[in-house]
Amino acid sequence: MEHRNILEAVELFDGASPEELESVAALCKEQTFTKGDIVTAQGESGDELFVVCDGFVEVLRTGSTPEQAPRSVVHLGAGQIFGEMALVDHGPRSATVKAASDTTKVLILRQDEFERLCDQNHHLGFVVMRNIAADLSFKLRHHHLTGR
Amino acid sequence: MAAIYKVSYVVSGEEHPGAILNTESRPEKGDQITLGSKKFTVIEVIDLIPPKGEFHYLHATIQTQN
Repeated sequence: MEHRNILEAVELFDGASPEELESVAALCKEQTFTKGDIVTAQGESGDELFVVCDGFVEVLRTGSTPEQAPRSVVHLGAGQIFGEMALVDHGPRSATVKAASDTTKVLILRQDEFERLCDQNHHLGFVVMRNIAADLSFKLRHHHLTGR
Repeated sequence: MAAIYKVSYVVSGEEHPGAILNTESRPEKGDQITLGSKKFTVIEVIDLIPPKGEFHYLHATIQTQN
């Protein structure tokens, strides 16, 4: 499937025009992981945003002390994004993300390239930031519902 | 574009973090779904927040298949 067609079904780009989607798709790189592969590691610096195309990733958080085992926070499947917090606050990765399916396919957007595009196109920048806020809100609601 | 259902799956009765994913059809009570290597049955579906454009936001409670 073409990157643009994948992005059409991702909430992050809901409200973007076909031309804007094309410009984002042109920045995307596709990568496939196998089950257990680490995609991002908690505490490391991060300069990429990820979109799950196929399969699942598992998000894990390590506690404040090294002896605490990593805790599974959520599984993310098709159409979901991760790595967005680094895009918003430029901080280190807040969680470790592992491939949870035998074949896990993601699209990768480099933060600097994506921010440059949003700086050049303020409508796209508004759409993306509004939708990142909505996505973070949805994840928070999910977290509340799990009662964990 | 067809409707897209962004679903928060929450597992009832066990320590499982659940999952978030987009589906092309609205999940219904009794549906079977697989998360990772585990199979689950949908026991309840509610609208979590109002829809926006093609996107519908749902909460589904699921439990391990017997």
